[in-house]
Amino acid sequence: MALTGRLGLLALLGALVPILLPSWWTLLALWGVLLLGVVVDLALAGNVRALRFHRSGDTNVRLGETAHVALIVENLGRRRLKARLRDVWPPSAAAAPRTVRVDVPAGERRRVDMALTPTRRGDRRAVTVVVRSVGPLGLAARQLSRSAPWTVRALPAFPSRRHLPAKLARLRELTGAHVALIRGQGTEFDSLREYVDGDDVRSIDWRATARRADVVVRTWRPERDRRIYLVLDTGRTSAGRVGDIPRLDCSMDAALLLGALASRAGDRVDMLAYDRRVRARVEGASRTDLLPSMVHAMAPLEPELLEFDAAGMVSTLMARVRQRCLVVLLTELNTAAIEEGLLPLLPRLTARHLVMIAAVSDPRVGEMAGGRGDLAAVYDAAAAERARAERGRLTAELRTHGVEVVDAPPQDIAPALADAYLALKAAGRL
Amino acid sequence: MVTRSPARAQEAGSGTNGGGTGGGAGGEASARQVAGRRWRSARGVVAALLAMAVIAVILAALRPSGSPERLDPTSPKRDGSRALAEILKQHGTPVTVARHADQAVEASGPGTVMVVTRSERLTQDDIDRLRGAQGALLLVEPTAFVLEALAPGLEIEGTSFADASDPECSLQAATLAGAVTFGQSQTYDVSGNAVACYAVDQEARLVQVQDGPRTVTVLGSSAPLTNQHLAEEGDAALLMNLAGARQSVVWLAPDLPTEGAGAGQESLTDLLPFGVKLFFLELVVAVVLVALWRGRRLGPVVAEALPVVVRSAETVEGRARLYRASRARDRAADALRSGARERLVPLLGLPRTSAQDPAAAREIVAAVARRTARDEAYVGAALYGPEPVDDAGLIALTSVLDDLERQVRQS
Repeated sequence: MALTGRLGLLALLGALVPILLPSWWTLLALWGVLLLGVVVDLALAGNVRALRFHRSGDTNVRLGETAHVALIVENLGRRRLKARLRDVWPPSAAAAPRTVRVDVPAGERRRVDMALTPTRRGDRRAVTVVVRSVGPLGLAARQLSRSAPWTVRALPAFPSRRHLPAKLARLRELTGAHVALIRGQGTEFDSLREYVDGDDVRSIDWRATARRADVVVRTWRPERDRRIYLVLDTGRTSAGRVGDIPRLDCSMDAALLLGALASRAGDRVDMLAYDRRVRARVEGASRTDLLPSMVHAMAPLEPELLEFDAAGMVSTLMARVRQRCLVVLLTELNTAAIEEGLLPLLPRLTARHLVMIAAVSDPRVGEMAGGRGDLAAVYDAAAAERARAERGRLTAELRTHGVEVVDAPPQDIAPALADAYLALKAAGRL
Repeated sequence: MVTRSPARAQEAGSGTNGGGTGGGAGGEASARQVAGRRWRSARGVVAALLAMAVIAVILAALRPSGSPERLDPTSPKRDGSRALAEILKQHGTPVTVARHADQAVEASGPGTVMVVTRSERLTQDDIDRLRGAQGALLLVEPTAFVLEALAPGLEIEGTSFADASDPECSLQAATLAGAVTFGQSQTYDVSGNAVACYAVDQEARLVQVQDGPRTVTVLGSSAPLTNQHLAEEGDAALLMNLAGARQSVVWLAPDLPTEGAGAGQESLTDLLPFGVKLFFLELVVAVVLVALWRGRRLGPVVAEALPVVVRSAETVEGRARLYRASRARDRAADALRSGARERLVPLLGLPRTSAQDPAAAREIVAAVARRTARDEAYVGAALYGPEPVDDAGLIALTSVLDDLERQVRQS
C-alpha cells in the first residue's frame, strides 16, 4: 500500500474546515471522508498480486555496449491493471527507463524493454520489480515488490582486438602460409615440396631429391602446440588506475589479445587469476572456446586489496604444469613486491619454464619527469626520475634471470605483448 | 601502494553512479563540486531567510515609534503630554496622575473626569475595576476590549488618516474648539444616542455617549494630547473643554502590568479558539500523510560495492611531496642527475652500467664536455656536483641538465 500526494494535499486543505466549523464532528467527518477515499481506492486499484513476471533478452554485454532485457508483465487477475512499474537494478547497471507506465488488460501480457549500459565489469543482478497501481480517486495505491531474477554479465571490452588482424598477418608471415611465400622461419619440420626459384638452397633435402626426379626442399614451420600460461595478478597493485582504467583491466586486455593470437597460432593457452588464492582459471579450452571462456572468467574479477602471493602462485603453477611452457605474468613492476616476492622464486620457475613479465607503466610518471619551472614541478620530476630508475633497475635484474620483460603504457601494452610473443615464436624459443 | 579500504557506498536507485569513473579528479575539484552542489541546494533557503529578514526590517521601520513615555502627563518629550497637564493645572483643574487602575478608581469621584490613555496596558481586571469608577471618562485611543467594556454600543470601524476637520456636531466642547488635528485615528460606528463628531465618511472620530449616569467620551486619536501637536488647530481647546470642564482630572497612564497580575493566568492554549486547535491537529495529520507519501519509495535503495579508486602514480606524487616538505634537495638533485646520466650514457656510446658507477665519472664528464664544448669543471658540477644550496639552485640545476642533454643529443 502507498499513499499519494493528493491525499496529503486534501488533508492540508481540509485543515481550513475546522476554522469555519469548529467542532470535533467536523474533523471526524473530514477524516472519515479521507479514509473512505483511501478504502475505495485500495478496493478499486488494479490487483498487483495477480501479476507474474518473466524475463528474456541478453545475458552478456561487452562493457560500454547496451544490453536489452525484456520484462514481460502478465496479468492473471480479472481486472485491467494500470500501474507504474520500476525494474530495480544496481546503479552501475545504468538501467533505463527508471520507471514505466504499464497498462495490462486482464489475462494479457505486456513487454517492458529495459536498456542496460553497465559502467563496470562484472555481474549485474536484477534486484526486484516494483509495481504501484493507484486507485481511481488518486488517493492511495497498491504496491508490490516481487523478484524477477536475471543477471547481465558485463564482459571486458577487449578494445585491443583491433590489433588482432595485424598480428595475425605477422603470424602468417612466420608460418609461411602468407602470400609473400617467404620460407617459414620456424625450426620444426613441416613437409617436403618441390623447389621453386628463390628458395634457400640450404633447405634442399638431398636424400629426398635423390629418390625423385625433382629437387625437393624441406619446409619448416614454427613449433605448434606449445603451452602458454597467462597469469593475472589481481593483488593490490592491480587496483591502481592508469589514466582512469584500473591496471587489471589493461592486463586483461593484453591477455585477451595474446590468448587470441596464440590460439590461432596453434598453441594451447591457459589462464590463471591469482592473488592469495586462485580467483579464476581457464584450462584446456579448445581453440574456438578459448576467448569466450577467458572473457567469462575475467568478467567478475576485481582487484583484491591483498599482497600478491608469489610463492603460492609459483607452487600452484608448478603443480598444474609439468611440461615446459611460456608463463606470462601480468603484474606491476613494484620494486618491493617483486624483490621480496617473486625474485627469490624465479630460478625455480625459469628452470622449467620461460617466463615473461608484462607490466603497464603509468604515463603520468613520464609527465612528472618532464616537469620544470617551479619548485613543486622539480621535486615531482625528481621523484619520477627515482621511480623510473627503480623500475629500470628492476627490469634489468629480471632480465639477468632470463625473464622477458614487456613494460609499456596502457594503450601499447597489448600489441607490445603480442609482438614479444611473436618474436619468441620466430626465434623458436617457446 | 593501495591501502584504502574498498569503499562501500549506498547509491540511490536513481543511477547516479560515480563508481566507474573518477579517480583522475583530484580532491580539490571534488570538494569544490560538493560545495557548489550544497550551495545550489541551499540557495533557495538562504534567499527565503534573507527575504524574511528584509521584510522584518521594513516592518520594524514602518511601525510607529512608541516610546515608553507616550501620553505620559509628566513627560516633556514630543509624544508626552506634560504640556496639557500643565495647562490644566494653570487653569485651576488639579491633575492626579494614576499609574494603576486601583489608584485611578480611588481618586475618582462624582465631579472628576478620568483620562484613560495607553489602554492596551490594562488587564481584564483593571477594566472591570474602571467600570466601577465614578465620574466621567475620556478614553483616548481605546482598545476594542476597553471600548466594549466602558462604552457600550460603540465599535471600532476602521482607521482614518484624514488630517484636520470641522466637528459638525452638537457637542459644545467640539464646536467651541473648531477644527482639530487627528493624524492617524480610529473611527467609530455610532448607534443609539451617541453624539458623533469630526466624522469622516460618516465615521466619527470623537464620540460622546451616555452610559447610565456616566458620560463617556471616546477620542480616536492620541495626537491632540501630545506635546508635539497640542498647539495645532483647536487641539488644546478641545482637550480643555473635555477635561477641564470638571472639578479635577484623574489621568490614568498605566504602567505595564506585572506578571501574574489580572488576566495573565491563562496559557496560550486557553486563549486559542477551538477551531484553531482543530486546525493545528488537522495540520499535523496532513503532515503525517505527506510524510507517509514521501516515505514510501517505488522500490528499495540499492547498495552496491564500489571499486577502489586509487591512482597508480600516487606513490610517486607522495614521494615528491615528501621531498618538498623535508626540502630534500640532496636526494632530489641525486635523482635528477642520475636520471640525466642514464639518458646521456647511451648517447655517448658508453656502457649503460657506467651511469651509476662512480669510477666512470671522469670518463662521462670528459665525453660530455667534449660533445658540448664546455669545460669539464662545469659539466662535472652539473652531473656530480654537491647538493644545491637553495631552491633556486635546484631549479637552475634542472635547466643546466636539460641544456647538457639537448646539446649532447644535437652534437
